[in-house]
Amino acid sequence: MRSHLKVAAAVGLGLGLTSCASLTKGLKAAKLGGDADRLVAVSENTQKCDKLGAEPAIQEEYALGSALAIQWVQRGGGLMLATATDQQLTTYVNTVGRNLAMQSPRPTLQWTFGVLNDTRNFNGLSAPGGYVFVTRKLLQGVDNEGQLAGVLAHEIAHIVLKHALHQYASVKVSSCKGAVVGNALVSAAAGRLLSASDRDGKLDLDSDTGLLADLTEKTVELAGKGHRKEEELEADRLAVELMLGAGYDPEAYRQLIAKTPDGGGFFANHPKRDERTKQISKVVLAQKAGADTFAELSTDSLQTPALPASFAAVKATGVAKDAK
Amino acid sequence: MKRLKMGVLLLALGVPAAAAWAAKLGDKLYVKARNTRVLVSPEATSNVVVVLQPGQQVTWKGASPKDKQWHLVTEPKGKPGYVFQTNLSTKPPNMELVAKDGQTRAIDPAAFVSSGAAVKALSPGAEKYGQDKGGDYAAAVKQIKQAEALAAAVTPVKIAEHVKQAGLFPVVAPTTTVGPQKVAQAAPARGASKPPKEAK
Repeated sequence: MRSHLKVAAAVGLGLGLTSCASLTKGLKAAKLGGDADRLVAVSENTQKCDKLGAEPAIQEEYALGSALAIQWVQRGGGLMLATATDQQLTTYVNTVGRNLAMQSPRPTLQWTFGVLNDTRNFNGLSAPGGYVFVTRKLLQGVDNEGQLAGVLAHEIAHIVLKHALHQYASVKVSSCKGAVVGNALVSAAAGRLLSASDRDGKLDLDSDTGLLADLTEKTVELAGKGHRKEEELEADRLAVELMLGAGYDPEAYRQLIAKTPDGGGFFANHPKRDERTKQISKVVLAQKAGADTFAELSTDSLQTPALPASFAAVKATGVAKDAK
Repeated sequence: MKRLKMGVLLLALGVPAAAAWAAKLGDKLYVKARNTRVLVSPEATSNVVVVLQPGQQVTWKGASPKDKQWHLVTEPKGKPGYVFQTNLSTKPPNMELVAKDGQTRAIDPAAFVSSGAAVKALSPGAEKYGQDKGGDYAAAVKQIKQAEALAAAVTPVKIAEHVKQAGLFPVVAPTTTVGPQKVAQAAPARGASKPPKEAK
């Protein structure tokens, strides 16, 4: 009988929200009792789960982002901080990154930039709350500060646009619905998700490490598949705006993209270069504002600064030498 | 040729036309960057009238004929002055903040700098999560805290020094002091040694 209930609930879920709500209302009104009542309860709880798809409060974002940052650092072989030269390099990356971030649409986040020891993957990573990481392999591949700024701006854009939070929200909703359809509180964490869906959908992850761990690890699994191509294009657009706003020539970022093979590392889920080329003929751009209109961006006086001396350590193939 | 290349890049990336961001004379614009200076004249070294913070609004009076990247505005209390172009936006920034007591606090943008409301370290729940997992995860907690300390030391003063040396736009001011500006120090920020500019 329970399996029938599961099938009915699954069918109800498949009908979509509006029809599901209508079905639930009809069944409730009919007062059939027994399995029908249980089906109504499942349907109502499923609908409540959708509240968990709401944008999380900033404390919830910081908790998730911090836990994801721990995961990225662990998976990236730790941060390059062992020597004075490593720390100088981290300071430099933070100087470039925080200048961009303080001009972004989320200027009040506590932005932190770090370099992962990873020498195999050409990659940039971000986590909600303002954590941005680049791999040592990526730093070995950049030719100037403009290219570094482009990569950092792209990762800043993912945080500003809350792309990982969208993945997290879908994890919350699907976990909640999974618990409901399973007709059992399969775990304490799932129970607390259901409880939150009874309220406003907001979670206090700092006081519930079990739930934080559960949701973080599920989000990591989803994040491993990468962002959608549309999100990558959106992040590229904002990255270029951030570069122009700070005075960097985005041509440097274009050159970095151009020299990287399609489908690898940082660009694994990014649109192919050919796709971008096709867009060129489709879009008309008017950059110059009129005399009586204000435009936020300018292409005058843009720069492509060279890399500092502290970059020599990362360019070396072996372990960075301490410059002390 | 350079402008053409830039246009091609922006087209490739689908950057919206400038017209989409346009505002008319007399419209309100938002301050988008930390420590945004309103200056007496349209040059980066002139005296500071006031320093504004993200979310504050100014009234736009037009670009300076002397340098179109500087724009005449009136600040919230009505004083006129010049602001660098990319410090301003037609759209408001997000102002989410976390207070030290863990509560989200709506805050007056002008009080932002002195509030300390943006102070945040690795989330306590996440720290416990990492410590509980142990091994490399616990090490990651320690390293992230170290990186956060280095990041916090990169103040607007350090950023302004680097920006000056690299020839970037003077968007984030080093301090909130009004009046005559100090000449930026010659010494580079730690780790940000003087980068020679590439020939363009």
